[in-house]
Amino acid sequence: MTEIKVLGPGCPKCKTTYSNVLEALKQSNIEANVVKVEDIEEMMKYNVLTTPVLMIDEQIKIKGRVAQVSEIIELLKK
Amino acid sequence: MENQTLVKEICPTTTQEWVKKGALLVDVRESDEVNELAYDVPNIINIPLSEFEERFAEIPKDKEVVVVCKAGVRSLRAAGFLINHGYDANKVVNMQHGIIRWAQKGFATKGNTASVLRNTQDSGCCGTTTSSAEQSCCGSSPKTEVNKCC
Repeated sequence: MTEIKVLGPGCPKCKTTYSNVLEALKQSNIEANVVKVEDIEEMMKYNVLTTPVLMIDEQIKIKGRVAQVSEIIELLKK
Repeated sequence: MENQTLVKEICPTTTQEWVKKGALLVDVRESDEVNELAYDVPNIINIPLSEFEERFAEIPKDKEVVVVCKAGVRSLRAAGFLINHGYDANKVVNMQHGIIRWAQKGFATKGNTASVLRNTQDSGCCGTTTSSAEQSCCGSSPKTEVNKCC
């Protein structure tokens, strides 16, 4: 199953990204395992400087800004 | 940040000691923030976090480096990034609490401290409400000698 990670310390943009992911999955009927990563040490393992970060199957797709629902759907369909 | 082990963290008072020994400060705040208020130390470079991935190689690998920002969060990420890119974890440290605590302690700055001092009166660096410069800056237990605080 696809794994989606949202990396961020819990800021409003991170929360929006997380809810956008859930909305994208709902709209697209795609099943995925969604993980919120808020632990700073865990985030540093990914060499993340700017948050939020959207990862799909361990690949960084979008960083430093909110991922929009439509683009998340696009990324999931690729 | 108490719950991470990758990056050693020091407080502003210990940073003063590192500066006296010739450490380089790397300020990762954006240019507009630096223009408003800057650290006044002999060895400092500004590499904004937004440019950090492209410019981090400007930081020498053989020097002791203290990464700083406004509150100590962005600088922690940047310090972790450097260590993940082969910098010596004993030479690269994060300064906790950033220029907010630095200014609160009365350490040298250039510019207007009003914005950061106003910030600290609303909320202390450790989640407590304090504006006292006398108060210790770290609630965390030091893990190593280098982590000793104020």
